[in-house]
Amino acid sequence: MSTTTETEIPLRQRVAENPQPALIWAAVGAVLIGVELGAILQVVGAVAGVVVNLLPGDPGASAVQSLQAAFDAVPTLVSRDVIPNQGYWNGTGYENTFLGLSPAVAWVIRVAFVYAYAFAVLAWAWNGYTRFRRHYRRVDWTPRDDVVNRFRGHSWGKFGLIIVITFVVMAVFAPALGPTTMERNILQPYDYEVTYWSEDTQSTETVLVGEANLGSGSQGAGDENVAPLTYDDYGRFHPFGTATNGKDLFTQVVFGARISLTIAVVAMGIAGLIGLGLAMITAYYKGLADLATVLVSDSVQALPVIMVLILMLVIFQNTWVRELYDGAVLIILIFSVVYWPFIWRSIRGPALQVSEEDWIDAAKSFGQTPTQVMRKHMAPYVFSYMLIYASLSLGGIIISVAGLSYLGLGITAPTPEWGRLIANGQQYVASPSWHISLVPGLLITLVVTGLNAFGDGIRDAIDPQADTGDEAAATGGGA
Amino acid sequence: MSTTSTEEERTTTARGETILEVNDLKTYYEDGGLLGSNPVKAVDGVSFDIQRGETLGLVGESGCGKSTLGRTLMRLEEATAGEVKLNGTDITTLSGSDLKQFRKDVQMVFQDPDSSLNERMTVGEIVREPLDVHDWKTPSERRERVRELLETVGLQEQHYYRYPHQFSGGQRQRIGIARALALEPEFIILDEPVSALDVSVQAKILNLLEDLQNEFGLTYLFIAHDLAVVRHICDRVAVMYLGNMMEIGPADELFDEPANPYTHALLSSIPEPDPTVERDRITLRGTPPSPRDPPAGCPFSTRCPVKIRPAAYRDMDPDVWERIEIFREVLRERSRADPSLSDRVRKLLGRESHRAGMDEIIPELFGDLDVPSDVMTHVREAADYAENDDENAARTYLREEFGSVCDHERPEQLAVGDRGRLSLCHRHDAEYEEPATVFETLVR
Repeated sequence: MSTTTETEIPLRQRVAENPQPALIWAAVGAVLIGVELGAILQVVGAVAGVVVNLLPGDPGASAVQSLQAAFDAVPTLVSRDVIPNQGYWNGTGYENTFLGLSPAVAWVIRVAFVYAYAFAVLAWAWNGYTRFRRHYRRVDWTPRDDVVNRFRGHSWGKFGLIIVITFVVMAVFAPALGPTTMERNILQPYDYEVTYWSEDTQSTETVLVGEANLGSGSQGAGDENVAPLTYDDYGRFHPFGTATNGKDLFTQVVFGARISLTIAVVAMGIAGLIGLGLAMITAYYKGLADLATVLVSDSVQALPVIMVLILMLVIFQNTWVRELYDGAVLIILIFSVVYWPFIWRSIRGPALQVSEEDWIDAAKSFGQTPTQVMRKHMAPYVFSYMLIYASLSLGGIIISVAGLSYLGLGITAPTPEWGRLIANGQQYVASPSWHISLVPGLLITLVVTGLNAFGDGIRDAIDPQADTGDEAAATGGGA
Repeated sequence: MSTTSTEEERTTTARGETILEVNDLKTYYEDGGLLGSNPVKAVDGVSFDIQRGETLGLVGESGCGKSTLGRTLMRLEEATAGEVKLNGTDITTLSGSDLKQFRKDVQMVFQDPDSSLNERMTVGEIVREPLDVHDWKTPSERRERVRELLETVGLQEQHYYRYPHQFSGGQRQRIGIARALALEPEFIILDEPVSALDVSVQAKILNLLEDLQNEFGLTYLFIAHDLAVVRHICDRVAVMYLGNMMEIGPADELFDEPANPYTHALLSSIPEPDPTVERDRITLRGTPPSPRDPPAGCPFSTRCPVKIRPAAYRDMDPDVWERIEIFREVLRERSRADPSLSDRVRKLLGRESHRAGMDEIIPELFGDLDVPSDVMTHVREAADYAENDDENAARTYLREEFGSVCDHERPEQLAVGDRGRLSLCHRHDAEYEEPATVFETLVR
């Protein structure tokens, strides 16, 4: 079966010799990506816009704008245009909705379609991995296979993964999921009009979105409340009801997911990089490097996290840093600085342990450089521990961000944020408008639980012998 | 002498040029204390050389510094003093590209095949890594070389894409050997390469190592604690104790007629497979002293069964002499152990210490013997010092009174026989009886 030459063939050639599985996979992938090409190009355009915006003097702003316009013209399958729900009743039937269905049904179909698409993409990616394993990988077995197999048998971890995916899809497809758009309903409500069926005049009439919002707020009283899964007086469907100011709660929740996830993932990514890098250096060189890092990290850890956050946000209140991404950039930086010691602490032990292995000495003995020793012989063993800790801490950051916004710090209005939604509805908790606080609150709980479950799953998969009663690693961390 | 003809051949061909020369090498581990530290003297002044193509065995009990010596020769530990010359170049001060070149010439095989191979890399990647580090030829030639190496050490080419997990201990050790061979080194340090393996596998690995030596003209430093293995594979043997090289010489000679008292004791610990053979084992008293505080004279003086006695006590009853030695050892142990916190508090309060008092120890040690009164006077004097928690004064007192040349002077490595054997013992001086003669009288 295996001959001398077989082991040396590069991947491209191995695929060429047995192209069928790869071709089928690539064809399915082309279809899946092709239907979303418009959205992908729009993201590219948006990123280019942000980059131009950050540069002094905005060079080439007009070029980027024309590019964005061209990208917008590329059709996208999973979008509001394909399954529209913002129509109105004209007395006999619905106009401008998907197949003339009611806005509620059209919206439900779109949400289902978005999730179906997202899970199809994930299934396709997983299928690619299994195809590679079966047809093209030179190794029949790697230690990672065991990890993957153990995770597949871990129901609690899979539950967590599904929650996390649901949350991520919510953030990624936020524009397509909302029953209305950010621009129209939340940011510039007085620039758009809504057409509705007036019972009084028995005809369709138009009104500014802002005015319609004023008439459909949820403020506790029976006639001043738009509950979840109901229509307001202007024929607009609200899956989660409306906020106090009449803006759609679901739209705010999905866009809030976007900002929460961005902050948590980027902050944890930076903190993780710092923590992992320092863990490698301190475990490899030990001695003074380790002592200095212990001192610095202890000093940082001694600070109460939430107080540092509040202080820093107040200090930077009126500076340009506070303006970037509605304050998210500043929050990300503060969280990175505050969180790296926790990460470093939690992986220092494994890093020191692996640095004592003989294969480190072996690598040194044939002259391997310190950076390569850290990268090839130490980091892979420590990375998984970092992943566990990061996934367990993400929830803590999401809670902290919500807490800050609840206090009126954090993300600035009008950008929606879960914590501010909770604060917004706080005084109506015991009234018919209970949904304003409860829905975002439940979602936070669910997401944090999901992240913890996912972290537990990875931990058990990576290290089946690990003590599952380890309280220090199992808590959500954060504030 | 049971020198077989093959062994004779090996020793004669081994007499090539000197490949490695070690002069008064010292490796101390500082404990990093801020105050004046008391380093662990793991290797404390070792000198020897290795000829091209030979196998030098390095034996000794755990903690004697043999692994540290090997790691210092590999530059995995920094030498505190002394020099190590590989082909005439002192390698203890190399840096930069010279150090990298040196790394090519000397390789190491580690004891534990579980820990010496990175489990996340395939066998091919593991064996190829040294070639990658030194930019050896082209990548495809490297892969070719790795496959050759796998065959050389008795594995198969298709093992290239397997992970270490999928191999047995012996096969893993073969992978480690292939990695050590990758850069075509001249000198390989084998740090207990078969200690972690099954006996049946040990023999195969040892034969492989011998075959490789013949094929590639390798020079080995074979670190081990299994004396039978050493005798099987080594041309010459060095015996280490407490960071010192007690004896070094041709394997057959050293095993058949050990010169040094420590070698004597070590060899007598080899189990005799024939139960009918009457043998007198020499069981050493106590444990080796702390390498932080080695004896001032001969490193073996605290446990040596044939220690030279001072002239005044030469005819003393051996039992009494032994008890005095034990008493000295007790004092040494006590001076090493820090008094516990409660002991200190008791002392401050003027109460009795929990530690066994001298009034208990002395009757226990000397009670059943007829001890000459002058000896007893000295013992009581020392006990008085110790009672006042001044063990060091007690030790000094006893050393002055009962100490001999073994306690006062560090012996030189003296030549024994005519085949270049060296032994670290005062008894090889013409002034004293040879250790072997004394052992004869001791075991009778």
